[in-house]
Amino acid sequence: MTVESSSPPPAAPAGAPRVLIVDDDADIRTGLAAVFTRAGFQAAVAPDAAAMDRMLEADGADLVVLDLMMPGEDGLSAARRLAARGWPPVIMLSALGDDADRIVGLEVGADDYLAKPCNPRELVARARAVLRRARDTDSKRGAAEAVRFAGFRFDFARRELLDPDGVLVTLSTGEFRLLRAFIERPQRVLSRDQLLDLAFSNDTEVFDRAVDVQVSRLRKKLERPDLGELIRTVRGEGYMFTVKPAPG
Amino acid sequence: MTAASDPPSPRAGLPIAAHLAALVAMALVAAYVVNIAAVVMLPPRPPDVVRGDVVLDAFVTGYAAARAGNPPRSGSGAKWAVDAERPKVRAMPRPGTLLTRDLSRRLEIAPDKVIVAYDPTPSDVVVFRVRREEMRIAREAMRGGDGTHREHLREGGHEGRTREIIIEQHTAPRAVAPPAPALPPLPGVPPAPPEPPLFAPPPPGVVLMSGYMVAAELPDGRWLSMRQQSTAETVDWIARAALGIGATLAILLLLALLFARRLAAPIQRFADSARRVGVDPAEAPVREEGPRELRTAARAVNAMQSRLRALVAERTEMLAAVAHDLRTPLMRLRLVAENADPAVRDKLVKEAAEIDALVTSFIAFARDDPTREPRIRLDLAALVQSLADDRAEAGQPVTYDGPDRLVITGQALGLKRLVDNLVDNALKYGGCARVRVRAEAGDAVIEVADDGPGVAPEEREKVFRPFVRGAAAGVMAAGAGLGLSAAREIARAHGGDVEIHDGKPRGALVRVRLAV
Repeated sequence: MTVESSSPPPAAPAGAPRVLIVDDDADIRTGLAAVFTRAGFQAAVAPDAAAMDRMLEADGADLVVLDLMMPGEDGLSAARRLAARGWPPVIMLSALGDDADRIVGLEVGADDYLAKPCNPRELVARARAVLRRARDTDSKRGAAEAVRFAGFRFDFARRELLDPDGVLVTLSTGEFRLLRAFIERPQRVLSRDQLLDLAFSNDTEVFDRAVDVQVSRLRKKLERPDLGELIRTVRGEGYMFTVKPAPG
Repeated sequence: MTAASDPPSPRAGLPIAAHLAALVAMALVAAYVVNIAAVVMLPPRPPDVVRGDVVLDAFVTGYAAARAGNPPRSGSGAKWAVDAERPKVRAMPRPGTLLTRDLSRRLEIAPDKVIVAYDPTPSDVVVFRVRREEMRIAREAMRGGDGTHREHLREGGHEGRTREIIIEQHTAPRAVAPPAPALPPLPGVPPAPPEPPLFAPPPPGVVLMSGYMVAAELPDGRWLSMRQQSTAETVDWIARAALGIGATLAILLLLALLFARRLAAPIQRFADSARRVGVDPAEAPVREEGPRELRTAARAVNAMQSRLRALVAERTEMLAAVAHDLRTPLMRLRLVAENADPAVRDKLVKEAAEIDALVTSFIAFARDDPTREPRIRLDLAALVQSLADDRAEAGQPVTYDGPDRLVITGQALGLKRLVDNLVDNALKYGGCARVRVRAEAGDAVIEVADDGPGVAPEEREKVFRPFVRGAAAGVMAAGAGLGLSAAREIARAHGGDVEIHDGKPRGALVRVRLAV
């Protein structure tokens, strides 16, 4: 195999999530593999997109961490192919950290996008969040890049919320994740714990109270006089998104 | 990229001068065609020159009728009237003495009771064309060798109808008596046959007149007058001539419009297209159409556009390569730091973050193009609040105060960068950032206050220059000194500006004004 084997896998427990790290820089490959292995993943590495394809063919993976700029096929094109297949989820890791670059990455179907140099622990946290989401939503990725609800339009890739008047309402990262969690599970009561799990990366210290604060902020941004309550408080249980979003 | 190397269009197009020449030529042709058609197809204008003897005859007949109590009606070129007063005669037409006498004799009234006024037409103004048939007769007569024939002709000359060679007035088919044909100087000597006259002056003794007025006093003291009038044929002729001129003008107008459109439409499209290309080199190239000069200009613009596009692509690639080459070692450093001793790690992480911030600001500055991002309607309050919330969540001392909603038109990413830069500065120099948003006098105002040393008044303009960093004493701040200049550029692209004021009670207060 042309693929280098990563740091010794025996450390990873059986059934641990398998991550495939694709990067043309050998130091970054092995370094990231070490970080992931320490975090309890099974890590494999590939130096380019062609090797990635062979690895996926042979062993599969639960998650791909993909470098954007590589010799041969670049990361964007590889991410697009994986997104078209629907599996596995992809985190783009890129030296281009601009908002515009991030949008492009998310639009081709990456599940998350991180700029280099990143905090390795944040990468692991994002990887966990992506895996959770992938497990939790049965719907294929890329099926709906944007949804409509109650006159709003929510674009996952651009993280854009357009209100019924067509005005862009910017969401904070927390609000964005929260709204995404609600939209992916509409008309279901979600407990604070569930929301913490879905909408907050676990390296930030958050409490139930923080969920309430985020929900109240999000509510304010979704508040329109002629609309009913979009996020309902279910006493003692949690919150519920009251409308069913439609793709579009 | 290919447009520059494209071979010149096979349809080279005509120069503007050729278009104009074609227009002029077509206009002339149209005008002449209509004119010739008018000359050929319209009947000639009926004459207004009449023979005096005919006019007098008509008046004598009319006078007799008027005396009988039956004044003639106007019509067929003459206007009759019966007036109580003697008609006034203007300077022109002037009274004709010879004809006056003639008329008074024929009406058997005193000469001062008649008026014959007219505008005499000099006999050399109106020429008469000899009819072809009569020319033939004349020619034969003149060529004829025997005297009997000539004699007959000469005798015929005294006998009325037979001697009349009918000639045609040039302006109208009116028959007048011709002058007597010239006779050979000596009988018996065969004359050199003279050329028969093609044109001839009016017959002698005939007065030609136009604009006549003939009047005579009736026995009851009233005056009967007869004036020349435009005939129905004349009016008709004028109407048809006017119609011809109108049609010519209409055709010319149509032609001019057609040419103007053909010339102006591609120029307009070219101007629009060139403007779009100037704003964004990724726009579709200018269409090479219209006159040759325009095609040349369009080709030049397209070549320039493809060069611009190549430059932009080159710059983007270069920046991406720079970002990649600088950030890959940083990422390696970051990974090494993970395994290092915690104290060393923190230091390494901090250094890596600072270098990354520098790289980020350089790249953002180099690739920044305020015109490229589309303007949309956005909620500025939500935008600023989200940024503050993200900072606060990351543990930075950033607060937000302002309305829940303030809608403006602007560039979302640009404004985010503006606020991010100001918050970064506040954190760097002032240790915290208090962000406020408010609407004020038709503007949207963002204020970022900190608790730092502030900016000295003389420094406040300087710090907006690229690569100039605040010289705050005792503050070790990393950064390229591009944050404020980029912020100002973005604010100005939104019809506003950035200014630095004193904070209360201390620190700096950076105020951004944006047009709503």
